[in-house]
Amino acid sequence: MSKVLQVTLGLITSIGGFLEIGSVITAAQAGAAFGYKLLWAILLGTLCLVFLVEMSGRLAAVSKHTIVEATRARFGFPFFFIVTIGMGIVAFLVLIAELGGIGLSLQILTGIGFSWWAVAVSIVVWLLMWRGTFSLIENGASLLGLVTISFVVAAIKLHPDWGSAAHGLIPSLPGHDKTKYWFVAVSILGASISPYLMYFYSSGAVEDGWDETYIPINRIIAGIGMTFGGFLSMAVLVGAALFFQPKGIQVDKFSQAALLMTTALPKWGFFLFALSMLFACLGAALEISLAIAYFFAQGFGWNWSEDMNPSRDARFAFTYTIIILLAAVPLLFGIDPVKVTVISMALTSATLPLAIVPFLLLMNDPDYLRDQRNGWLSNTVVSIVILISFVLAIISIPLEFFGS
Amino acid sequence: MDSILSWIGTAGMTGEAWLRHTTPDKYSAQTLELSSETILQISTQLLKSPPSSVDSSALDSTITKTRKHIDQMARLIRAKDSPAFAHQLDSLRADQKIVKQLSDSIEASQ
Amino acid sequence: MKVIADVLDKELIDRNGEPIGRVDGLVMHVGERTQPRITHIAVGGPALWERLHPAFARLSRRLARMWGPKRTEQVRIPWSRVKTAGRDIKLDVEGKETGAIDWEIWISRKIIKRIPGSGGDEEGDGSQS
Repeated sequence: MSKVLQVTLGLITSIGGFLEIGSVITAAQAGAAFGYKLLWAILLGTLCLVFLVEMSGRLAAVSKHTIVEATRARFGFPFFFIVTIGMGIVAFLVLIAELGGIGLSLQILTGIGFSWWAVAVSIVVWLLMWRGTFSLIENGASLLGLVTISFVVAAIKLHPDWGSAAHGLIPSLPGHDKTKYWFVAVSILGASISPYLMYFYSSGAVEDGWDETYIPINRIIAGIGMTFGGFLSMAVLVGAALFFQPKGIQVDKFSQAALLMTTALPKWGFFLFALSMLFACLGAALEISLAIAYFFAQGFGWNWSEDMNPSRDARFAFTYTIIILLAAVPLLFGIDPVKVTVISMALTSATLPLAIVPFLLLMNDPDYLRDQRNGWLSNTVVSIVILISFVLAIISIPLEFFGS
Repeated sequence: MDSILSWIGTAGMTGEAWLRHTTPDKYSAQTLELSSETILQISTQLLKSPPSSVDSSALDSTITKTRKHIDQMARLIRAKDSPAFAHQLDSLRADQKIVKQLSDSIEASQ
Repeated sequence: MKVIADVLDKELIDRNGEPIGRVDGLVMHVGERTQPRITHIAVGGPALWERLHPAFARLSRRLARMWGPKRTEQVRIPWSRVKTAGRDIKLDVEGKETGAIDWEIWISRKIIKRIPGSGGDEEGDGSQS
């Protein structure tokens, strides 16, 4: 494959695969409640993600190892086990949220409740994993995910005040609802900086056989792709600020969010929202299921590849089979996917150091990176953003759930 | 109070979107029903310990009236009766103003 | 001892280039007069869980007796079969013969191949890449 084609494909996958239920719901909540004020959280999260994705690809290209393989080998099993528990719980919650997001999209389209869709949705996701190849999942899902660009069109058609939007890129204190403000900021950070995306991306780079010649391509994909992805989240926030905030509507339920584009794009807005969420959540559900299976397989040294037949990497296939089926259970009982989304995004923020600190140490280890180790810029940006997310998370999560 | 206003707003927007034929019937009716149910839940909670600055019976009756209008709208979608629906939507807008005034008076007294 | 940090938890690759597990433990021989030396690499089950807590190891043994390939003794690969020990440990053995992938084979036979479309209708493993 020519490098130009690879860059194009890489950009499409990072843009089309960027949004999922977490980024949409948190951005919509932020815009509805605080106008443009929380745009900075998306900016900060996306900036950090750009560096983290670049690092994941570089580690794979130089060492031919994924983050998980290297973490276990470098830090030993007891530490790896703790990371597994933390990441496993959070990723599983996110998977429930994404499967729920598919169900909710189908619910607003058909009127049939999401819990009725739970089993069918999880079987379809599983079937795509069972029969699909890595490139089918990565490229197919994100190509469909390009429909999420409609959020940008909608936001522009609502005529945002660019000046105040730019103001929102600089952090400021809220005038009201301080607890909620910080909690939503934490959720946005968690939705932007998703560790599963790093695991998925580095495994993908190893599956595609990257070597050091891929370092420039990787830089372009991470830099440009993730930045454009961040714009999509910002568009959701801006659209929500213009549509919901003046009417005093808070986004607590999916059916409220579905109104987002109904004035900007009268004819298609509703269906574009439903389709965007359907494809975005489908792509994310596939990525997370793969990321969890990769995590276990790589951590325990099993055979793994999405391109192999399941019988050739039985434990890998068994892991995603069980996890996808289990994730349907809470949905069957009618647990609200939006609630799961909000909680899992905040928990992601709180557990970021568990995933990122060992990763940063690896990225500075000459055994793995040789002369391609992190520079001071990557180290500084990532450390600061992770620290901010973590501190905000451990302060605001208890306040949100047990506070006044 | 903010959540009640949020859900009245939701019902209003859902109504407008349906009148413009931009949303499916089932979704619109379900969202209106959800709004009505949620408003009932929140107001029941609220009226257990009503804010002292507000006449709780006035609040109760306004909310009951609002919910009636929303329920009516959901029914009219099933009957595909746009003119009557538009009429109900107007009443809902009037209710929204009253609830907003009540909410502002509570906020002012705090 | 540096060798432990260098070897423990590394990926094990068999003769065919297939990953067969990780170095979950090391078996040492401590002689009275000789230097202590590694004699075996332990893979899977008890050796791994023992490193967290003996209770985990007991649980893992109990579960292994109830379910799975029913292998009771710890999988050990003689150190003499190590070809190179770099970022991965390359071995001069066939994965299947060591017992390290008993679980892989068991899950493949008992579960995965029974589900349609697993690509496992052909006899034997490794018929497709």
